[in-house]
Amino acid sequence: MNAIEIIGLTKIYFSSGGRKKVEALKDVSFEVATGSIFGLLGPNGAGKTTLIKIILGITHPTTGTAMLLNTSIDNYFIRRKIGYLPENHKYPTYLTGVEVLKYFGQLAGAEPTSLKKKTDELLELVKLSNWKKNKIKTYSKGMMQRLGLAQALINDPEIIFLDEPTDGVDPIGRKEIRDILADLKAQGKTIFLNSHLLSEVELVTDRIAILNKGVLLKIGSVTELTEKKEEYKISVDAENLIEEIASSGRSFHLKPQKINGGYSINVSGDEELNLFIDFLRSKNYLIKEIVPLKSSLEDLFINIVNESEKGMK
Amino acid sequence: MLYTLREAFARKVFLFFMIISGLILLTEIVIFSMVDTEKIIASLNSTGDPLMRGQIIEKIELAVYSFITSLLLLLAIFASASFVPNMLEKGTVDLFLSKPISRSQLLLGKYFGGLLVVFINISFLILGMWLLVSFKFSYWDFSFLSTILFIVFTFAVLYSLLVFFGVLTQGSTAGMMIAYFIYIILSPLLAQAYIQIDVWTENKIYIYLVKGLYYIVPKTAELLGTDAINVVTGAGIDDYQPIITSFLFLILMLGFSIVLFRKKDF
Repeated sequence: MNAIEIIGLTKIYFSSGGRKKVEALKDVSFEVATGSIFGLLGPNGAGKTTLIKIILGITHPTTGTAMLLNTSIDNYFIRRKIGYLPENHKYPTYLTGVEVLKYFGQLAGAEPTSLKKKTDELLELVKLSNWKKNKIKTYSKGMMQRLGLAQALINDPEIIFLDEPTDGVDPIGRKEIRDILADLKAQGKTIFLNSHLLSEVELVTDRIAILNKGVLLKIGSVTELTEKKEEYKISVDAENLIEEIASSGRSFHLKPQKINGGYSINVSGDEELNLFIDFLRSKNYLIKEIVPLKSSLEDLFINIVNESEKGMK
Repeated sequence: MLYTLREAFARKVFLFFMIISGLILLTEIVIFSMVDTEKIIASLNSTGDPLMRGQIIEKIELAVYSFITSLLLLLAIFASASFVPNMLEKGTVDLFLSKPISRSQLLLGKYFGGLLVVFINISFLILGMWLLVSFKFSYWDFSFLSTILFIVFTFAVLYSLLVFFGVLTQGSTAGMMIAYFIYIILSPLLAQAYIQIDVWTENKIYIYLVKGLYYIVPKTAELLGTDAINVVTGAGIDDYQPIITSFLFLILMLGFSIVLFRKKDF
């Protein structure tokens, strides 16, 4: 079952004169499965925040629609089951941490009877219990971000939208947020994550989508997208592998690298992999490891975005 | 609505109003302690008719009322102009709009919250003034308290304009300027022009224009002037047109604000 369905969303911003200004989203469609962590990636101005804002009713689509838990986004009651941490959120500075949660909890339709308990639990979770009675104008950026996360969870939502949740948070805080996200996933919550921090997205998400200039470029699991097709790394326990290959008369296009008394060899193509394995076995070499090669999410992201930029030119 | 009250407390709107109100009441206490009120009444009541005493006290009350109304309304507009723009600030509006509340509810909550803030502050000052005059002259005229409703209603009409421009511009300056312009210049001018225009010109276009404009623009001059005074003096409201047309203006402004707010992207 899908928690989120995005159906042909297009958003065009017009100038005050009515002339076409910016096409922020171009016919974007995809789904997010219930209970998964989904990451939306893209450079600045890709349309990530616009997409979230449309889903949450903050901005209206030009065409297309979206469904949350099989309910149209036009029905604002569905937002009772949604939590949202916006980018650059701004809470009334005259409130304390506990008052922020109480206020936005009430607005989000949280059960009044359980609100106090939930507030205390969440402040404990984001490690702000000792600051709960302090005015939030005294909070650091990292603390505000953690409070924002608690606010997004106050109504016990089924889907949580997080726009740059680790922005301004130190490495330890980031790890804590990642743990919270993993815990939420274990509880069956669906998490939709917007982040610039690719390494973090790679660590927590099940699926990702890459958006650039309003166009959905790629979607899939991190493993699927980062896997290099038919490229493998073989680790072999051997002493004179280079010489053996040279004297074998076979035309392997390989560049073995000596590592810790053995070799590490990158092999392209299934056919060559099999031939090379046959060769190694014929020489009675010990094959220690065969691993499919992956590119980092960062490499993938940069390649895809650069290719799309070239295509647009 | 209650959080608008909280916002007003936090932004020291109440403190500001209380200080101003306190100073006005203190001035009134000082004046009353310095003058012999019975002598004033006697000097104003040349016939010595005891029935005239109540009317003279009402006039004193209205003189004080006239003096403070303008100040109160100017302060109320100034204090409440930022309530809607604050809600629409980037980073704040996202939080509100992502909640399971309709945009109309959000806006009306801010509107009535602002109204409540002004109602409390105005009631405090008018009630204080009324108590002082009543104790001083031992004359308890409850009809004077109806001025609270006239001031709050007039504010409600102007506040609907502030809300509309708040949504339109996401700032408070334009709304404040227009509200002040209507209250200080346009409404008194049109009230006068409506009566005099037939004398001033024979040009039908000008006459229709002025009279048309008169009906469109909120009638703050009449609401706080003749209508309020007539109620206090017991004469009653002889013409409900200023109240009805101003109320229609309020409804229209709120309606436009809601439509605009619902259509707007943030």
